[in-house]
Amino acid sequence: MPAILCHALSKTYGHGFWRLQRKVALANFSLAVARGEVFGIVGPNGAGKSTALKILMGLVRPTSGSAQILTMPASDPACHAHLGYLPENPSLYKKLTISEHLHFAGQLAQMPSKVIRSRTAELLALVDLSLAAHIPIQRFSKGMTQRAALAYALFTDPEILILDEPMSGLDPLGRQLVLEIIRHCHNQGKTILFCSHILTDVERICSRIGIMHQGKLVAQTTPAELAQQLPASAPASSATPLERLFLATVQKGVVPAGEQGEGHAL
Amino acid sequence: MLFKLWQVALFTYRESLRQRIVYGVLICAALLILFSLMFSGWFMRDILKIILDLCLAAVSLGGLLVPFFVAINLVAGDIDQKTIFTILSRPVGRGLYIVGKFCGLALLACTIIGILTLATLAALWGAALIFDPFFLRNLSINAILVAIAMKALATLVLIAVAMLWSTVTTSTFLATLLTLCSYIIGQSVESVVRFLVLQQNQLDYSPLLRLVAEASLYVFPNLAAFNFQHQAAHGLAIAPGEVLFALVYGLSYTAGLLILAVLLFSRRDLS
Repeated sequence: MPAILCHALSKTYGHGFWRLQRKVALANFSLAVARGEVFGIVGPNGAGKSTALKILMGLVRPTSGSAQILTMPASDPACHAHLGYLPENPSLYKKLTISEHLHFAGQLAQMPSKVIRSRTAELLALVDLSLAAHIPIQRFSKGMTQRAALAYALFTDPEILILDEPMSGLDPLGRQLVLEIIRHCHNQGKTILFCSHILTDVERICSRIGIMHQGKLVAQTTPAELAQQLPASAPASSATPLERLFLATVQKGVVPAGEQGEGHAL
Repeated sequence: MLFKLWQVALFTYRESLRQRIVYGVLICAALLILFSLMFSGWFMRDILKIILDLCLAAVSLGGLLVPFFVAINLVAGDIDQKTIFTILSRPVGRGLYIVGKFCGLALLACTIIGILTLATLAALWGAALIFDPFFLRNLSINAILVAIAMKALATLVLIAVAMLWSTVTTSTFLATLLTLCSYIIGQSVESVVRFLVLQQNQLDYSPLLRLVAEASLYVFPNLAAFNFQHQAAHGLAIAPGEVLFALVYGLSYTAGLLILAVLLFSRRDLS
């Protein structure tokens, strides 16, 4: 049984003053992420990546279709006990410190106080925020907030991580740190689903990659396949294999042979 | 469930205590209470009334701070700035979030009103030292405490109103505006209905208008039901039935608003 399963998800938003105009964010989106897999979703802005992740977090209700986390409906808050979520441009409570946030996460998970204290120290060291433990979040830089939110997502040692643009707002050092953390979590056997615009990072750490376009998962591949299989229509440039595949898929609407339909077949 | 509710309430309470405006209003209210001692000497026959009017106004001011500034900032702001994901990404349902936030804000309101009650009692003690006991002969601590408790209940109703508007609107400004409108209507709705009933023989108005006015008495929070300031200021006896009615009305109205807020919020997309 996959750790994350989306079946024929659709989401249509109403917009305009009376919300009568419709905008399709997701159209028949299906996805299965196996346990222990690192699945990266890439796609242009507005492709529906964040909407898909928000449906999995129960923050947005799908118009149709279903989403499951460890066989539980994604809308059930109980499944969040097994989840860590890092939203895009995370926003923590500005007047509180990261220690207070982590303490709150620990208390909700009913962890003993001693464990909360040791886990706080461990995670703050991991994200390089030990010296900022008691500083209010409002004094954090964007990169520090991003790392603090990652520590908050990891606090209860969840089986599944859902990360929305985990590298956004980070300097090269911070990006390297987050990549290392994702690799470390993968080695621990965690399931990771994330979306990113930084294709090189996705290529480096994912065991499987999906390309989203216009609310659909239009292609799926693996880093190994990427190295071997490139569509003939891919533009010749100095771009990496994933960049070339991405451009061929999204710009020209070409779905490479052999990868076509994998996203739909789920 | 209750443990998680308590954790969300405590987290909200801790955050709300860090809002600078809380201390600003507390200082203003404390000054008002201090001035009540200074000004009351100018009105020799009404010393007690002046002190209590100013002190209870300070309590109201402190209480109103919570729904208008803190509650809307914490709930509508939470949705606006997406800090809500911090709580909802944990095993916390939306209903638990709403009720937990309400409990945290209620704790803040009780803390503020508790501090201002102590300040009021200190002002009365100061007045007893300064002025002749004759001027304080109508003093009834029980009536004062009942009046303050009812102000606290009115604050809880307003917090629930602010939470309802915060969960259905998309901006903090709109939530503030709607809460303010509800407050203004709630303050005057009983007087308007009473006027219409008393003047029905003299004034020629349609039965529909009276029906609308009477319906609004149930739709909007009738804040006049919680006003026992007059009895407290004059040391008049407060009928237990009136207090019981206000208590049942306030708690059931608050529960109704919270249920509505939870129902509406559960359907909302947090995109």
